[in-house]
Amino acid sequence: MTLLQVEGLSKIYPDGTKALDNLNLEIRPGEFVVVIGPSGAGKSTLLRSLNRMIEPTNGKIRFKGEETMGIKGKKLREMRRHMGMIFQGYNLVTRVTVIKNVLHGRLGYMSPFKGALGLYSKSDTEAAKSMLQRVGLYEQMYKRADELSGGQQQRVGIARALSQKPDLILADEPIASLDPASSETIMHYLYTICKEEGIACLCNLHQVEIAKKYATRIIGIHKGSKVFDGSPEELTDDMIQLIYNQSHARVKETA
Amino acid sequence: MNAAQMQSARKMKRTQTILFLIVLLALVIWSSIGAEFSLPALFAGVGESFRFIFLDFLPPDFSSLPKLLEPAMQTIYMSVVAMVIGSIVAGLLSFLAAATTSPHPYLQVFVRAATSLFRNIPVVIWTILLVAAFGLGTIVGTMSLILISIGMLTRSFAEVLEEIDMGQVEAVRAAGGSYFQVLSQAVIPQFMPGFIGWSLYNFEINVRASTIVGMVGGGGLGFILQSNLKLFQYQKASMAVLLVLVIVLVVETITNRVRERII
Ligand SMILES: Nc1ncnc2c1ncn2[C@@H]1O[C@H](COP(=O)(O)OP(=O)(O)OP(=O)(O)O)[C@@H](O)[C@H]1O
Ligand SMILES: [Mg+2]
Repeated sequence: MTLLQVEGLSKIYPDGTKALDNLNLEIRPGEFVVVIGPSGAGKSTLLRSLNRMIEPTNGKIRFKGEETMGIKGKKLREMRRHMGMIFQGYNLVTRVTVIKNVLHGRLGYMSPFKGALGLYSKSDTEAAKSMLQRVGLYEQMYKRADELSGGQQQRVGIARALSQKPDLILADEPIASLDPASSETIMHYLYTICKEEGIACLCNLHQVEIAKKYATRIIGIHKGSKVFDGSPEELTDDMIQLIYNQSHARVKETA
Repeated sequence: MNAAQMQSARKMKRTQTILFLIVLLALVIWSSIGAEFSLPALFAGVGESFRFIFLDFLPPDFSSLPKLLEPAMQTIYMSVVAMVIGSIVAGLLSFLAAATTSPHPYLQVFVRAATSLFRNIPVVIWTILLVAAFGLGTIVGTMSLILISIGMLTRSFAEVLEEIDMGQVEAVRAAGGSYFQVLSQAVIPQFMPGFIGWSLYNFEINVRASTIVGMVGGGGLGFILQSNLKLFQYQKASMAVLLVLVIVLVVETITNRVRERII
């Protein structure tokens, strides 16, 4: 059984940049898949195509057994609420409280009217509080989001994604702006919570060591194409070389 | 772009600059002849104005102060009402006029064009037009202040909206937020400081503009000032000017305080 199935996914940006080139991939429930690849390989484009924050040029996406390419409006919102997203820059609404940021994860479930007025239900609020407890930020609940440190903000980001009760979390370089200690904490929270809740995670990372440490499966992307898909053990040093330096290898060949 | 193209582009630019300077110079000469402008005349004029200010205007006639209080309040009311209505209307319009929040590019262009008309026709002209249509009075003065407030604030607000952090917007959208949910939960919190700051600034501008509006028939202190001038009651007029100055300074001080609190 698959949670997410991607076939022939391509993205050409309006300026002609080919960011994804006929990419296939599959994610099963509860998997922790890490995507690695050099800068500009198309990792962010891949993640953002999956929740349709950008419009893929071509391909098929099936999520929870339903075609999601081309869906709009209410259906699109319903699809998105089952996919949490975590960002490199945290992307919290900085001028409102921490708990409000967590509650934003509930908007996809609320009527547009109630959501726009911020009338969150009692049970949603309680759930948000326990989520914050879980990421160790219960005491910071009523602080403004921009009063927290980077690592704390990212934990709020995790709590926000979790409050969506998602089946899949898309994490786009969640630790790229953090120091090593905070990075470790964030990866730990992300990994354990996903595991405990049975949430699948697709996570872009730059650090191969961390990828190998947490991933149940690793996908290597180079210039918009998948060049590796296998277990952390299968990811040999040669393979890493290939993923990151393929262009160098080619240059050498032609020279 | 290759070197030859670059060269020709640069040459073109230089010709344009020179042409522009020639036209500008021609305009200046032509208009100064038209206005019978000359430097000696300017200096004579300055002397004349000084004599006028010191002998005819000063000292202000303080005994006329009680009669000025009501028009002064009118000036403030007009400015406040124009700010409140102007910022509400402009607040709504700016969401249509900003690239980041507009539901459709055509709508964006239309709102921008319409409000730039409000903004670029001077407030005096608006007042003269409205006085012609509706007669003298504070209502007409307020209406013209509202028009320029909408014009100014829509643009300022739209600029605030175009500078918001789209990452925050994206996060709420990715969580499944609808258009209005995204606006209220991710855009408005970022918009608020700019909204209040620009509205207060607009209030200051309205207080100043209301004097001019009053002078062409829009009520308030400006109207009294104009009547005094017409009747050659210069010392009463200077009292009115003094009062305008005091109101402007007080309003500026207060709005600055409030703005510092928020930002
Ligand atoms: N909005 C856009 N318009 C045009 N080209 C874009 C746009 N966004 C990304 N690209 C291009 O698409 C390619 C893939 O970009 P993407 O951001 O997906 O890479 P990435 O693997 O996430 O890189 P990084 O590790 O630096 O985040 C790059 O060549 C990039 O320049
Ligand atoms: Mg990226």
